[in-house]
Amino acid sequence: ARMIHGQKRPYRTTELARLMYDLTLTPAAVLQKWRGEEDQAEDAEMVGDDDFFKKAKAVSDLDDDDRTIPVFDYERLATKWSNPEIFDALRQRVTAGGLHGQSLG
Amino acid sequence: MADLNSQPPLRFQGHRHLIQRLVLSTLTGRPIRVTNIRSTSVENPGLASHEVSFLRLLESVTNGSQIEFSYTGTALAYRPGLITGSATGYGADAGGVLKHEIPAGCTRGVSYFLIPLCLLAPFSKSPINVQFTGPGVITSATPTGDVSVDTVRTAILPLYEQFGITNKLEIRTTQRSNPGPGGKGGAGEVQLIFGHQVRLPKTVHLLNPGRIKSIRGVAYATGVAGANNARMIEAARGVLNPFVADTRIFSENTSAGFIPAPDKSNPRAKRKLGIGFGLSLVAESSTGVRYSADVASPVTGGVPPEDIGVQCANQLLEVVEQGGCVSAVAAPTLLTLMAMGSEDVGRIQLGRDVLGSENVLQLARDFKEFGLSGWGLRDAGEGSDDIVVSIVGKGVGNVGRKTA
Repeated sequence: ARMIHGQKRPYRTTELARLMYDLTLTPAAVLQKWRGEEDQAEDAEMVGDDDFFKKAKAVSDLDDDDRTIPVFDYERLATKWSNPEIFDALRQRVTAGGLHGQSLG
Repeated sequence: MADLNSQPPLRFQGHRHLIQRLVLSTLTGRPIRVTNIRSTSVENPGLASHEVSFLRLLESVTNGSQIEFSYTGTALAYRPGLITGSATGYGADAGGVLKHEIPAGCTRGVSYFLIPLCLLAPFSKSPINVQFTGPGVITSATPTGDVSVDTVRTAILPLYEQFGITNKLEIRTTQRSNPGPGGKGGAGEVQLIFGHQVRLPKTVHLLNPGRIKSIRGVAYATGVAGANNARMIEAARGVLNPFVADTRIFSENTSAGFIPAPDKSNPRAKRKLGIGFGLSLVAESSTGVRYSADVASPVTGGVPPEDIGVQCANQLLEVVEQGGCVSAVAAPTLLTLMAMGSEDVGRIQLGRDVLGSENVLQLARDFKEFGLSGWGLRDAGEGSDDIVVSIVGKGVGNVGRKTA
């Protein structure tokens, strides 16, 4: 039981409600924590902080700007949605208007 | 007014979420001060041209706004005025049309201006009627992450119906355009007519995403062969037809627009700008929820229309899978309108990945910063992974219509 309790369950709603207004974390960090992705990235940055004269990070304006549509990895999407199992799982979100869906499968 | 002016400005940092903060500031009447706008950027510090253009737009639809930049443009103070809309004599012409010119260097689509303007429009004193012209109007989706004007028309504007804002909403696209060379500029022309002003938007409860019943779309080819449209539609249908039989995609083939390009020999020379193609898809559910997807050909070219069609269809499936009663594209609009509503609890079901996106989280924080209510979260239950967000409206509403 301790094993289960010690491990934080990711994607918990109450957890997000708590983290959401914690202003010490950036939104990106909140999401990382909520998803249960451990902050390895942060550790790597800590090591890098030793050298004082670090080159300023080249900020690409495009990556850094506000986007309405998030960036999608289309190759990943293409493989994901050509998988018939995932595709069929989404069929339940469709009105069973025609004969498509169940009868075709 | 005296107590309003004595309010200390809210302080923000950085260029991210600038537009949403400006909108919230205008709606709530709280002045803001933003510092460190791209202050670490070596190439182009300070406000970008599209942000300055948006500030100009704000200035022209409001009365009494004060905007101050620092010398380098890395700091900005904004004191909002009253949203007056396109009133004759305040910059609008005799027909009540306000012209907004977008400069040539603009890399953002016109939806970057349209969506926030639509948020302000219901709270305006008189109708909003703005025509976007100039060498920077891009009506297609852009690589900078803007949706196309078709998506605004078919997926964002219908959201306002839920709030009781239904009449005289129109977006007229008189000239289409894709991004020009380097992603900059376009020769489009779009007119937004938002003629329904309210005192307070209705409280909404959206808890049933329903099932997808139809998919509609617009394929646009500007200045290139119309066969591109057919190829995009064919490819997209290949993915979507087994999913929803009721799929209709319209085809729009127009020539590219002209912009003035004077040279020494011919001062009245013009050139074509903004060729390309793209696809906008909107899936509608039985309860009126709309999910949208947008892909346009990249500025560098070299992608066949079939790929664009498949990418767009896949994006649509992904957005549908995220679920909830609103997609990530429309969520900020809906949540903001809910927060501006009457002092009653509104509820909305959001997909986990929609709520758990940086934009929406930052919106929650900015709401709090502006003194709007915090969000209550709970699981939707009933076998769904979604989260129900409850927002208490602030009852700010329309200051210009208080007496009406």
